[in-house]
Amino acid sequence: MDLWATFWGGLLIVVIIIFAVVAIKVTIGGFFDVKEMFKGINEQHDEDESSKDES
Amino acid sequence: MTLIAAQDFVSNFTTIDWWIVGIYLLFTVAVGLYANRYIKNMADYIVAGRSLKSNIAIATMLGSEIGLVTVMYASQKGFTAGFAAFHIGLVAGITCFIVGVTGFIVVPLRRSGVMTIPEFYGRRFGKGVRVYGALILAVAGILNMGVYLKAAGLFITSLTGMSDPNAVNIVMTVLIVLVMLYTILGGMVSVVITDYLQFVVLSFGMIVVCILAVMNLGWVPIVDAVKTIHNEAGFDPFNQDGFGISYVFWMIFTFGLVSCAIWPTAVMRVCAAKDTAVVKSLYRWSSIGFMTRFIIPQFLGICALAWMWQQGGADSRFFEADGSIVGNADETMRAMPIFLGQILPAGLIGLVAAGMLAAFMSTHDSYLLCWAAIIVEDIIAPLKRGELSTKTRLILARSFIFFTGIFLLVWSIFYPMQQDMLDYLAVSGAIYFTGAFAVLLFGLYWKKASRIGAYAALSAGMLALLGLTPIREALHLTNENLGMDINEAQIGLGVTVLSLALMIFGSLLFPDRTIESDTGSDIEASA
Repeated sequence: MDLWATFWGGLLIVVIIIFAVVAIKVTIGGFFDVKEMFKGINEQHDEDESSKDES
Repeated sequence: MTLIAAQDFVSNFTTIDWWIVGIYLLFTVAVGLYANRYIKNMADYIVAGRSLKSNIAIATMLGSEIGLVTVMYASQKGFTAGFAAFHIGLVAGITCFIVGVTGFIVVPLRRSGVMTIPEFYGRRFGKGVRVYGALILAVAGILNMGVYLKAAGLFITSLTGMSDPNAVNIVMTVLIVLVMLYTILGGMVSVVITDYLQFVVLSFGMIVVCILAVMNLGWVPIVDAVKTIHNEAGFDPFNQDGFGISYVFWMIFTFGLVSCAIWPTAVMRVCAAKDTAVVKSLYRWSSIGFMTRFIIPQFLGICALAWMWQQGGADSRFFEADGSIVGNADETMRAMPIFLGQILPAGLIGLVAAGMLAAFMSTHDSYLLCWAAIIVEDIIAPLKRGELSTKTRLILARSFIFFTGIFLLVWSIFYPMQQDMLDYLAVSGAIYFTGAFAVLLFGLYWKKASRIGAYAALSAGMLALLGLTPIREALHLTNENLGMDINEAQIGLGVTVLSLALMIFGSLLFPDRTIESDTGSDIEASA
């Protein structure tokens, strides 16, 4: 039982530390991705419009 | 709906906390509505124009998957099963990582260019399988989602100390209306942005709450409480007095493979990803989140268990006279939010509540969007003669979001929960995913998979309903009547094996010569 308790305790600490690192990375990187997403959607719309005009 | 008041625990929730909740929710909705200006076609609405890059794809996937409902059912499992419940998060994370490394199912699915799983059915097995599979998926998915509002209601009353059940119903109604409003208007673009906000608030909030809980209780008293209440079964997931080996395998399949690679809301993120490299990266990084979304809430449930035990032990409302945990599922679900209402200070508790409620809305918007897209794209559009215009598709999708929202409100209020919520979700979801797993697996990797095999596999999934206690009682198939001890995990695994077998034998016995795919062209399905 004590072995299991040690294992789960260690897992909990590892999970919290790794998740904190991922959260920081994704929070910062995600902000820039959102900006690019809007830019990408606008570009797709512009391409659609120009292809319609050509046809 | 019967809600037991939390009158014997006075929450730290104050007026300041209500202000924090109100401002945060209004901000979230405003951002969602702002996204509406970017919606010009169905691809923008459903998959955000397929423009998601790694970080935002991870945030939006985890923002949907780490919701209030997940936190509630995971904490309930921690409360009722102790540290042994951590195995669910562990297998979920490992399985998700393996999917990310190998690309199993998700990479060929993204390569196929489909927007939904039934669309893949259509391309591979024809229109009939697409419509049939979509129908099963929609029914199972909406039923699965049907208990979410109740979990949110229990969370709110317990955290804030509210005792009037009517007030909770009003709050829930307001929430579902807000969710429907911005999902209907904004589609996937607003879902992505709100998911991102939820991810930021919830991820940091959960870490802080965990640290505060340990500081409040101490690690050794937490472990001792689990030892006293659960004994060996509170630590060893293979112990037959607790989960047992069949349950562990059931979790590897359901909350491991299915929830990341088969469940439609996860697959929507696959379809929305920019390319297959993003898909694999998404799964490798998300594996941390898939593990965390169980382990951290389960730990909070364990902390609640230790705290409740310290407060009164067998005299507490959460324990029977012999020291075992009460069997009332509503009551065990309330333990974690009541605990948070006691240990968190005013201000922080408001932020946690706002993050959780916003996460609830985030999960709801993803799911509403997902089911509506499937009903329109995979049931109505294939059955309709002639092409549906973009405008008609958007109107239909938004109408189904509205009607599904109304159904969920009614179902959440009246359905009586008779088992742990995690088990209810696994069983109701299994109606769809046991068959879908077989059809996807063989559809993607076996040329001889046939239409008849697909129909048989999808139909077998219905048998998963036998895992629900009320269904078994209604059909007189209880363990007492059968004379053997069968649990929902064994039923689920049995149905999965049956679906796989039917897919294989159905395909071998009734091979397709050619099938007419949805796209109108005939494709060779087998030699």
